[in-house]
Amino acid sequence: METIKAVFDYTLREHVRHKVWLSSALFGLVLVTGGLVTSALAQGERARMMLDLGLAANEAIGLVSVVFLTVHLILQEIETRAVFLILTHPVRRSDYLLGRFLGTLAAVGLGMAAMGLFHWGLLKIAGWSDEGSYALAWFCSFGKVAVMGALSLLLSLALTSEAAAMSFASFLWILGHFTSEMRFLAERSASVFARAALTTVSHVVPDFAHFNYRDAWHAGPPGARWIAAAAIYALAYCAACLALSVQFFEQKEF
Amino acid sequence: MNALSFKRVGKIYRRSHLGRVTETVGLSALDLDVRQGEVFGLLGLNGSGKTTAIKLLMGLHLPTTGDVEVLGRRVPDIEVLARIGYAPEAAYLNRSLTGRETLRLFAALSRIPSARREARVEDMLARVGLGHAMDKRLSEYSKGMLQRASLAQALIHDPELVIMDEPITGLDPLAIKEVRTLILWLKQKGKTVLFASHDISEVERVCDRIGILSGGKLARVMAQDEWRGKPDTIENAFASSVLRTDGVGEIRLD
Repeated sequence: METIKAVFDYTLREHVRHKVWLSSALFGLVLVTGGLVTSALAQGERARMMLDLGLAANEAIGLVSVVFLTVHLILQEIETRAVFLILTHPVRRSDYLLGRFLGTLAAVGLGMAAMGLFHWGLLKIAGWSDEGSYALAWFCSFGKVAVMGALSLLLSLALTSEAAAMSFASFLWILGHFTSEMRFLAERSASVFARAALTTVSHVVPDFAHFNYRDAWHAGPPGARWIAAAAIYALAYCAACLALSVQFFEQKEF
Repeated sequence: MNALSFKRVGKIYRRSHLGRVTETVGLSALDLDVRQGEVFGLLGLNGSGKTTAIKLLMGLHLPTTGDVEVLGRRVPDIEVLARIGYAPEAAYLNRSLTGRETLRLFAALSRIPSARREARVEDMLARVGLGHAMDKRLSEYSKGMLQRASLAQALIHDPELVIMDEPITGLDPLAIKEVRTLILWLKQKGKTVLFASHDISEVERVCDRIGILSGGKLARVMAQDEWRGKPDTIENAFASSVLRTDGVGEIRLD
């Protein structure tokens, strides 16, 4: 635990010093531009537009940050050989990987929380009433970001190429939004092979339907069960990706 | 008693590219024992297997054949790493941290109790002459300062065995003298030191025994009484033992 904490601390500090928080400035720019564009709309419409724009921007910036950071996270330490000195101390490779991943997720999560607070404040000023939905929307975005972070880390270790890992992560991000469509196609498909392939892929790629708070909200505010299911899915997917990442990392010689 | 031993150790690097596998011999049936409390010098040309042998000791590589034992335990073994200090040829440290943060990290990874950690960090930084620069980031350190920080991380947990891979490469004469003094001080404290180098005169001054590696094999072992008071003995033994394996020819002066 002490080892994970030590690696977590230095990873978080490293990201803060590499100015990951500057992504929040980009978010501010998106909101100011959005505010100017929607200034001609009625107050209710404007708040709704600002809500959608802000949530989408927060998630997109979080996603880009987490993919970029996790893809470089270990490969860069291997390239600079900083990993040599860490692993020549009594450190399990799994602890090192977990500390690095959690430190990165914390850095991205802090950035997303800062953007979320700023956005929420602006919405309040614009007269939007919350009813607890904002926290849930943020939680769902963060769940997606955590899943994508773990998946990008796995891809970087499996492919050992940053560019290939980023391309695959982007592709899987898109696929993850079409899992129900894939299952629908699998049911309709006449070919056994196509059915098996589509069903397998739909279960292996991240299923972002678990974090679709918008649909859930339309059917009435989601209950604790829905939230717990989303959290469990995110934890399970991250754990599976990290377990596989450890397998790849254990086999590496430096 | 032996501090470390290689028993018929072989290491073959296999690389595959587009289905074509190439093999390079790193070590071939290496038998070597280093006794507790001695300073042992490992001499060899580039590509002779010095760094491979050290990486096997540190668990960064796995042997293809044979066994490696360190302090009575078969490696790779995480527990034994708590008793070894490793200073690589260059300071592979994370440049975004300060000297103090770097040593705090390695102190935590080396399982130094948190109550004693801060005092140990400050003491160690002062010992290597970085007391005045402990709160500066490593990106602001000179090469010599980085090398000292690297030595400090190797010694922070008071290890029984210190492994130095070409610790004087690129250092100025004053710094080389300090490293020599440090090695002799470690010997006085009863530590075992394994010291890989190209520099025959340096090895001659500090080592109790030396091993000459050539083409991944141990070509010769010499004890201090074989070279003390007999100038050029090591150099002649070295020249007659080694074969160029790095694929370069001699410099022609005609």
